[in-house]
Amino acid sequence: MGEFRDRWTAVGLEHQVEPGSSNPAIVDGHPLAIWRGENGQPNIWHDRCPHRGMRLSFGFVRGDTLRCIYHGWGYESGGQCVSIPAHPELTPPKTICAKVYPATTRYGILWTNLADEPSSPLPDLGPEEGWHPLRSLYVNCPAETTADRLRGADCGVPDAKAGNGGDGIATIETGSGLTLLIAIQAVGADKAGLHVVARGEDARASGQRLELARKMQRLRCALEAQ
Amino acid sequence: MAIKLHDYGLSGSCYKVRLLLDFLELDYEVEKIDFYPGRQHKSLDFLEINPLGQIPVLDDDGTRLRDAQAILCHIANKYDASGRWLPHDPARFGQVMMWLMFAGGELMAASAARLHDVMGYRLDIEAARRNAHAAFRILDDHLTEREIEGGQWIVGEEPTVADIACFPYTALAGDGGIGHEDYPALRNWMRAFRRLPRFQPMSGIAEFT
Amino acid sequence: MAVTTDQVVLNEWVACGWHGQVPMGQSYDTVIFGQEICVSRKGAEEYEVAVIEENGATGRTLPVQVRYTCIFTTLGNPTRPLPVIAEFDEDDRRIIGCGSVGVRTSPYRIIENFLDMAHFSFVHTNVLGAPDQTEVLAYKTEHRKDVDEIWALDCKFYQPAASTASAGGQMTDYVYRVMSPFSVMLYKNVFGDPARNDAICLFVQPMAETECLAYMPMALVDEISTPEGIIDFQQGIFLQDRIILENQRPTLLPLDPTIELPTRADASSIAFRRWLKAMNLQFGIYEKQAA
Repeated sequence: MGEFRDRWTAVGLEHQVEPGSSNPAIVDGHPLAIWRGENGQPNIWHDRCPHRGMRLSFGFVRGDTLRCIYHGWGYESGGQCVSIPAHPELTPPKTICAKVYPATTRYGILWTNLADEPSSPLPDLGPEEGWHPLRSLYVNCPAETTADRLRGADCGVPDAKAGNGGDGIATIETGSGLTLLIAIQAVGADKAGLHVVARGEDARASGQRLELARKMQRLRCALEAQ
Repeated sequence: MAIKLHDYGLSGSCYKVRLLLDFLELDYEVEKIDFYPGRQHKSLDFLEINPLGQIPVLDDDGTRLRDAQAILCHIANKYDASGRWLPHDPARFGQVMMWLMFAGGELMAASAARLHDVMGYRLDIEAARRNAHAAFRILDDHLTEREIEGGQWIVGEEPTVADIACFPYTALAGDGGIGHEDYPALRNWMRAFRRLPRFQPMSGIAEFT
Repeated sequence: MAVTTDQVVLNEWVACGWHGQVPMGQSYDTVIFGQEICVSRKGAEEYEVAVIEENGATGRTLPVQVRYTCIFTTLGNPTRPLPVIAEFDEDDRRIIGCGSVGVRTSPYRIIENFLDMAHFSFVHTNVLGAPDQTEVLAYKTEHRKDVDEIWALDCKFYQPAASTASAGGQMTDYVYRVMSPFSVMLYKNVFGDPARNDAICLFVQPMAETECLAYMPMALVDEISTPEGIIDFQQGIFLQDRIILENQRPTLLPLDPTIELPTRADASSIAFRRWLKAMNLQFGIYEKQAA
C-alpha cells in the first residue's frame, strides 16, 4: 500500500473519546474508527470490518472488545477477531483481523500515523503537563492552508500572535500569557479538523476555557471567510 | 383517560412523542398512518384531523394537538408532576423553548435530507445537507460549551423536552447522507441520551450503541 | 451519468416503479443503469416506458410488464423471463407493496443482505432475532440450473416477533430464492399455520452502480393486521438494514473472497457471489486495483 506519509496526525481530543464508545474520523479521506474499551485504552483502526466491510465506528463496545454492529463479530484491541456469534463454538481463524493503526495521547490530543512502518517522532512542544483541552472543531478549508490562514485570522483574542509548531501544528500566544496549541487534521480536500488545547495561567478554569472555546468558533468563521 | 397517537414508525417527529410517552411510562394507543407510499396524511379523512396534513397528532381525552414540540410540552405539562421534562423556573424555561423552536425549525433540514434520500422527495438536497450541517454545528458548539461547564444536557442538569426534540433528526442524520464525524460533543450527548432509562430506539438508530 | 455498457445486466428485467406511483395520464422520469427513462401511465394497469435521449427527446420505447405491484422494464434482450411467484395469484393473500426506498450502495449488497440471517439478532434486535440466540444453523444452498436461480433451503432462525401477525417468539423456517442479480424473495412459515408461507420479495432498481431503489412487495397470509401496520413493520425492518447497507466499504461488491472473509453462515452469500462471478458481470462490482 504505502499510500500514507509517515507523520503523526491529530484525530481528536482524548477526553472526548468516552470509554465504551466507537467514533468515526477521517484522515486524508481514509475512514477511521476510534474506540475505547472499558480499560480506557484508545484504539484507532481502519473503519471496516473484514467480514462484510461494515464501518466499525458504528460498532459497540463490550468490555475490552469492539463488536461490529452488522453481525456482532468481536475484536480485541490487537485487531484479532475473537468471536463470531453466528457460530458460538467456533474459534475465529487468525486470518480475521482488523487493520490497526498506532494510537497515542500527548497534550490531551489523540494522534495516529497511517504509514506502513511509522518511525517519525511525535510532535514535541515540551513537557506533557500543563495542557488543558479546549475543543475540537472542523472548518471548511484545506488543511494545508489552515496554518497560513490562522496567521491572518481574527480570533478576537487581544494581542494574539499565531506561530508555527511544526508539521500540522499551529500555535497562538495570547496577550494574557496563554498558549494555544492547534493540531490540524487533514480530513479531505476541503476540510480540516482543529484540535485545540491551552497552557498557561488559568487555562484550567472552566470560565477561561469556555471563553477560549467561543473564540475558536469565531476563528472558524474567520478561517472560512478568507 | 385515553391517549391516542396518530403515528408513523419512520417519522422522527412521531418518535419524539413516543420517546416522552415511554419515558413517562404512559399507556397510549397507536393509530398507524400510511405516510409513505400511501400519503394518508394528505387524505381527506386525515385533513379533518389535522388540516396541515402533518403527523404526529395527539388525541388526549378530548384535546387534539398537532406539532411534535407542542405535543411534548402538553404531555410534560399534564403528566410529569416532577416538572423535570419541562422546567418552569425562569432560568431554564426560556432556554428550553428556544431549543424546542430550533428542533422544529433549523434542525428540520436534516429531516428534509432524509425524506429526499429515503422516500425520493424532490427537493434541493445539497441545500438541505448544508443547512443540516449548519444546524448541527450550532448544537455541537452549544453542547461543547455545556461539556466545559460540566453539563451533559442541552439545558440544565437533567434531560428536558429540548433534548427529546433535538435527538431524533440528529441521530437519524445518516439516513440523509449526513455524517456525525465533525461533531464530537453531539456524539457524546446522543450516547448519553440513549442510555436514559426506558429509552426506545427507532429504525435508523442503532440499538446496541 | 454514463449508461453502462455491461450487456449482462442490460439483458435483465428490472423494476422501475411501483403500480400506483402516479395517477392515470401522468408520467415520471427515473433512471436504470445510468439511462434516463420516462414511465407514463396510460391506463389503470397500463404503462409505457421510453428512453430519454441526451438532448431530452423521447427515444425508443422499452418492453414493460406490471407484476407483483411493480413496473418492470429492460434495456436489452432478456434471456430470462420475469420469475413466476405463484403466491401473488392466490385469492386469500394480502398483496402489499411498500413504495420504494433509496439506498446508496451496490444492488448486490442489498440482495445479499436480504439473504443473510446472521444479522437478525444485531440489526433487527428483538424483532427478527434475539440478542442471546445468534447461532445460524447449517443450511443448504443450490444452483437450480433449469431456472438459473440460487436457492437456500432448510434455513431456521429463532425470531421474537417474526411478523405483524405474530403473537410471540417462534422458530421460523425460511427458504430463500435469488431470481436474478436484482431480485430475490423469501418464503417464511406463517404464525399459527404450518401449512402456508408468507412470500416477501425484494426487487432492486439499479439507477447507477451505487445508487438504487428497493421495492418490497409481499403476498401474506394475515387476516388481522391493518395494511398501515404491515407497511410500517416492513419499512421499519428495511430502514434498519439501510444504515448497514449505506455504510459498507467498499460500496461496490467485491467478488474476491479474500477482500471480505466469509464463514459458514454466509453460504448463501458465497453461492450468490460465485453465481455473479460466473455471469461475468461488471456493473456494480468492485475490482481490486492491480498490484
